[in-house]
Amino acid sequence: MKISLEWLQDYVEIRESPQKLKEDLSMIGLLVESIEDFKGSPVLEIEVTSNRPDCLSYLGIAREVAALYGRTVRKPPQKDKLTISPERIPYEIVIKDPILCPRYVALLLDGVKVADSPAWMQARLEASGMRPLNNVVDITNYVLLEMGHPLHAFDFHKLRQAKIVVAPAVSGEKIQTLDGVVRQLDEQMLLINDGEGGVAIAGVMGGLNSEISSTTTHVLLESAYFDPGSIRRTSKKLGLSTEASYRFERGADWDNTIPAIARACFLMEQITGGCIAGSLKDIYPKKKEPVRIRLNGDHANSLLGVKLEAEFIESTLERLGFQLEAQGENIWTVTCPTYRADMEVEADLIEELARFYGYQNIPATLPPSKSIGSHSPTFLVENAIRNILIGQGYSEAINLSFANEQDHREFPPLEGERIAVRNPLTEDTQYMRTSLIPSLVRSAKRNFNYGQNQVLLFEIGKVYYKGPHGAPSERNAIGILGTGGFVGQNWANPTAVYDFFHMKGVLVALLRGIRIRTFDVEPISGMTWLNPAEAAVVKISGESIGVLGALAPELQDKYKLRQVIYLAELDFDRLIPYAFPPIQFQPLPKYPSVERDVSILVGKELAYQALSRGILGLQIPELVGLDLIDVYEGEKIPPGKVSLTLRFTFQDRERTLTVDRVQGFIDTILSFLLKTYGAELRFL
Amino acid sequence: MNELVENLRRRFEEDLATIDSMETWKAVRDKYLARESGAITAELKKIRDLPKEVRPAFGQAMNALRAYAEEKLQERLSMAKAAELSSRQKHVDVTRPGFPFALGSMHPVKRLQIEIEEIFVNLGFQVLNLNEIETDYYNFEALNMPRNHPARDAQDTFYFDDTLLLRTHCTSVDVHAMETMRPPIRAVTTGKVYRRDSFDATHSPMFYQVDVVVVDEGITMGDMKGMLEVFLKRIFHPGIQMRLRPGFFPFVEPGAEVDISCIFCSGKGCSKCKQSGWIEILGAGMIHPKVLRMSGLDDSRYSGFAWGLGIDRVAILKHGVDDIRHFFENDLRFLRQF
Repeated sequence: MKISLEWLQDYVEIRESPQKLKEDLSMIGLLVESIEDFKGSPVLEIEVTSNRPDCLSYLGIAREVAALYGRTVRKPPQKDKLTISPERIPYEIVIKDPILCPRYVALLLDGVKVADSPAWMQARLEASGMRPLNNVVDITNYVLLEMGHPLHAFDFHKLRQAKIVVAPAVSGEKIQTLDGVVRQLDEQMLLINDGEGGVAIAGVMGGLNSEISSTTTHVLLESAYFDPGSIRRTSKKLGLSTEASYRFERGADWDNTIPAIARACFLMEQITGGCIAGSLKDIYPKKKEPVRIRLNGDHANSLLGVKLEAEFIESTLERLGFQLEAQGENIWTVTCPTYRADMEVEADLIEELARFYGYQNIPATLPPSKSIGSHSPTFLVENAIRNILIGQGYSEAINLSFANEQDHREFPPLEGERIAVRNPLTEDTQYMRTSLIPSLVRSAKRNFNYGQNQVLLFEIGKVYYKGPHGAPSERNAIGILGTGGFVGQNWANPTAVYDFFHMKGVLVALLRGIRIRTFDVEPISGMTWLNPAEAAVVKISGESIGVLGALAPELQDKYKLRQVIYLAELDFDRLIPYAFPPIQFQPLPKYPSVERDVSILVGKELAYQALSRGILGLQIPELVGLDLIDVYEGEKIPPGKVSLTLRFTFQDRERTLTVDRVQGFIDTILSFLLKTYGAELRFL
Repeated sequence: MNELVENLRRRFEEDLATIDSMETWKAVRDKYLARESGAITAELKKIRDLPKEVRPAFGQAMNALRAYAEEKLQERLSMAKAAELSSRQKHVDVTRPGFPFALGSMHPVKRLQIEIEEIFVNLGFQVLNLNEIETDYYNFEALNMPRNHPARDAQDTFYFDDTLLLRTHCTSVDVHAMETMRPPIRAVTTGKVYRRDSFDATHSPMFYQVDVVVVDEGITMGDMKGMLEVFLKRIFHPGIQMRLRPGFFPFVEPGAEVDISCIFCSGKGCSKCKQSGWIEILGAGMIHPKVLRMSGLDDSRYSGFAWGLGIDRVAILKHGVDDIRHFFENDLRFLRQF
């Protein structure tokens, strides 16, 4: 709301500088966003919150200023007598729906000469951000700004009958509004008609068919009160917001209808030469009562944490236009002004007291703590995973939670159905994501475009599915992406490149870091977005908890990615039950352990997992560690074979291991490997 | 006889001169003094084979030689040690870069989110994980924003159907906490919220919020101020000033807008704070009695406060980030700065 100080001073004395006024108004809840200059006069841009429609006018702001500085409000001159007898031109007002239109006030003037409005009025309208049109329309706008009540002016001769009927529209009914747009209405919208057809959308915008023009001589003024919810619904549905609808939907003042029309009549007589031809009609089927609230001063004190004097309570509220009736010590029945659409409960009055007591004067205290703080149950695991991944070189990403059609086609979810957004912003927000992978791939691509070759990213976030009975369910997932020069690359070892085993190694570190020691990584087929030659599933106790692998070559080409991207996605929620099992301390062995490295030749097709499971299946209690430390193929190795170097760690908790015993274990293992896999010893 | 001793002495002295490391020192020592095979030791052992009359003189000379050898070796020991240490001092160009050990970065918004949760846990709050897909009831109606409420305008919403939507704020924690916990309540939730805004420098369809709710008997607006001050000083700077202005949020009454003294100019006035010295940071207020009642609490017995703020906004202010889109584009040149 733009408030020109030149205009505001008509209603309240202002001694303060604009800057001081800005500060003071802001501290009572009227945030002054800026002070601009309009032709030499300061104009305040005031942000009026949606609960305070009473401040959407010069008089409204003047009331606040007067209450703030203890001054009086000067009301603008109005026409006293709004009836004539006999009525020169009879006309009729009918309200068909008194719920949606509780009050409709009208006045008919003739002898109106439409012209430009006087310069002072034009200047004030412009200073307040309104475009002058002609004197009749300008007067309705002037009164709207001055008193906050929207008025509408009809060209009376353009009405087909001398009447105004306020009734819901017929479904499908059309009206061309003042902006030239033909709008289709429904039966929940309130339409002003003349007995023949629509002439205005109530409280929103007039019809083109009854517009004031240069030839207008007879003007029917409307000053009504419409139901806020109805106006808001209509405005939203039509996508049409006007100065009038803005005020009606927030709540106008039904008792301001007559003063507003009396003020407009005064200006019409002065400026357009018009005079009353048809008396004031006030159709007001059921008188609306002002809001009454019981106020207990003790409640105010205990809610605010202050000690207010009864005298302060009374004087503050009275200055704001409330009427107080004492009901006992520190208790009142408060009658609220009808322009205060925000008054409902005692707390509303307490806020008024706080506004004028000053929020800054309420002492800051700390409530006694009676509770013990706690993180969410998954915080520990999530943070451990985050720190492990960061420690391994991965940077944390956050992507939007949306997905498009293509994402779902290219990265179909393992299970569950996607959820569609009913009113997406763009096609990229059509669905909720079912996977973290597509947006991580896009993030990698963006980084490639900026010349980054090594990209290591992870995201811990939600994915969304239709759960049982179609209800949406949210699951937490972990997505990891790695590509390019491996993190171990350096000037002494410049050629290392990220591959499958880096990703697998990170997953193992992640699982070990949350103390999951037992899991399997096995080949998986049917993952369309992964390269089938490098795709694996991670299982704990037989339950799939995620997949890893290289992005499918088709997708790599489609996304025009110049290097292979490795990806993993884990179901965080499924990891939780396994994470951080209780720890039972094992006494430290008293005797040293012994390591032996053994190189064997096996067929290339033999999976390492089969080999390692076979060895562990021998159940040699002293075998406490088995690692693969080297893999060699090439010269000196027969075709179809591969050399594996295994490192065995032996430990006897009771005694020092002798060379002979260790050799015994090795012999047992080697003869097993020879028998089962045809493995030959290459060297010890 | 003397000749033998003298030869041995000469050979020893020659070998002594070649000592240039601990290794050679030990070799020389063992060559002459080893218990079984040392040249001097061996000669001394042979003394029994000599005629009786020459034994004393030979023994004396040989023992003198042994003492001499031990003394000389002892003299040489420190030199050999020094040589040994210096041979292990291979030159390294210490100005070459260290190997780039892997270190990723925590997302700046996540870091703040964790920091904020930590502050509230320390203040006795329970952190609640809530769903992002919320019902219209919890997101709006239970917060005193029935359908057709103008305050809904500020929060253009993504809907799935007539009742399900993407939460537009974390404020529904107020209702969830009051429904599931008994007073005294101190609950906080953080996470993603969604508004139907196009992506630009200052808007994102998704951002992060933290919302806080406290309910007990006798909670005052002064308590709200006190706790706000603790929180804001922790998250920004102990020296910042705070001010409350009346503000409007349908779920609180009285409501407040909370400003902090501008962190760029310390309140003197600059372009970032539009010369006002203050920066609007969050919305707060005493929980509306209707909201208390709708959540099943007796509003004549309990009172409480709630506040909410944008975590991205805090990150933008703290780090001077110029575009909110940076947070969700995952450009490593951005992420690695944190």
